[in-house]
Amino acid sequence: MIKNSLKKLELKDKLLALIVPLLLLAAWQSAVSLELCSPLLLIPPLTLLDTLLYLADSGELTINIIASLNRVLVGFLIGGLSGFLLGLFMGLSPFLDRFAGPLIKASKQVPQFALMPLIILWFGVDELAKYVFIAIGAFYPMVFNTYQGVSTVSKRYRELARVFDYRGARFLTKVILPSAMPSIITGVRHSLGLSWMFVVGAEIFGADTGLGYMMAAARNMFQIDIVMAGLVVIGAIGFSINFILQVIEKRLLVWRFSSDQGASK
Amino acid sequence: MKRTEKIKIKLIGIALPILLLILWQYVVSAGFVSHHILPLPGQVLTTLVRLFTEEKLILHIAISLRRVIYGLLIGTASGFLFGLLMGLSRTAEKIFAPTFHTVRQVPLIGWIPLIVMWFGMNELPRILIVAIGAFYPTTLNTFSGVRDVPRRYKELAAVYGYKGFKLIRRVILPSAFPSIITGFTLSLGMSWVLLIAAELLIETIAGIGKLIDVGRDTFNMELVVAGILISGLLGFTMTKIVEKLVQAVQKGRVFEQEL
Repeated sequence: MIKNSLKKLELKDKLLALIVPLLLLAAWQSAVSLELCSPLLLIPPLTLLDTLLYLADSGELTINIIASLNRVLVGFLIGGLSGFLLGLFMGLSPFLDRFAGPLIKASKQVPQFALMPLIILWFGVDELAKYVFIAIGAFYPMVFNTYQGVSTVSKRYRELARVFDYRGARFLTKVILPSAMPSIITGVRHSLGLSWMFVVGAEIFGADTGLGYMMAAARNMFQIDIVMAGLVVIGAIGFSINFILQVIEKRLLVWRFSSDQGASK
Repeated sequence: MKRTEKIKIKLIGIALPILLLILWQYVVSAGFVSHHILPLPGQVLTTLVRLFTEEKLILHIAISLRRVIYGLLIGTASGFLFGLLMGLSRTAEKIFAPTFHTVRQVPLIGWIPLIVMWFGMNELPRILIVAIGAFYPTTLNTFSGVRDVPRRYKELAAVYGYKGFKLIRRVILPSAFPSIITGFTLSLGMSWVLLIAAELLIETIAGIGKLIDVGRDTFNMELVVAGILISGLLGFTMTKIVEKLVQAVQKGRVFEQEL
């Protein structure tokens, strides 16, 4: 019986969650049908669906998605990895923390988009400039969260590791990294989220492929249908990235929740 | 002893920037890198000084600040109200939160093309982009702060017969205050990043972002680097001002409690 009422509750929550989207959809459709605003500025919901299907069918969407994802992947790998390594070493070595920490913190005050003109002057307008730009975006969340996780590893764990004579790589993989994992994963999530935003920005600024480019070009030609379709696609991909990372997070941190339960018994 | 320790830590902290400055000066003056690609530190400093003595820079800064302040006010005020609503009412949370979390996945910069098409190439789209950036962190943190008000406080408030507006003002808001402030600080940082993006991506005639872009168009490297430094300096100053304000407010609160 309890199970049934729980299911009912869940169903009710789902219905409640649908209210706003449905209302928005109704408002949107009626704004179009009643001609409250120009068709140049708002297309009917069904036309948006048609546009999405058309873009997918023509292969244009696939090309642009792959171009954007490729940039995110490379930029994130460069920026995320260097952020991770630096955060790790800063967390382990108080000297490096004092040596590099202030500069990294100070440099974060610069809004990263301000660097885009400089990066383009240095690296040209091709892929490399975009990789660098995305890497800078990915770097900061990763370095701060890894550092946070590593530097707050409980003293008990470190002492225990010393008792067992864990050193070097073994100390890292058995003690430091598992303990810092929640924080590192948060870093990955923020870092990928920012990479996804930065790629769109870089592509709007200047590119000849990618979803950001697709939207910017459509804007210039006043194709509102493609702009809106692009928005839906980048939102959907952003959503998927976040969703996948949440699943990974749950998998990786399973020990954490189970050990918590064990402790409470 | 402690004092020398502190000084030592500070010295280690500025060692790296100084080393980088020396390296920078060296690679340029030794001719490894052309000063058209990387201007000398001295050149950047001269440009900075020149910019600060001209009236134009003040104008650029004023215009950028105006955009940030309007955007921040719109974004944080609406985010605060929205977060408060979702935090106070479980039903409101169930109705709005799923849509909110879905829409939030759209990278903020992605709104720029649509907003420009809807509102044209004037101040409004730039302010709106800043407002959207400011909206999310304040909403999220106000929401979690209000939702997590300890039950004891609410029970105590019920004993005293606090209801409605009084309950919100006397119990809910003071308890959620630290979280709301965190949200506001995050909003401030986000709005500054988005402002520069908006000034680069939406044609404009003035603003710090524009200043940097002018440097790029004219291959004026000193101007580009100086502009980047100014944008960082302004961001830093704004963060510091907010931090001081928060400290002042919090001190005031502690004092009140002691009374």
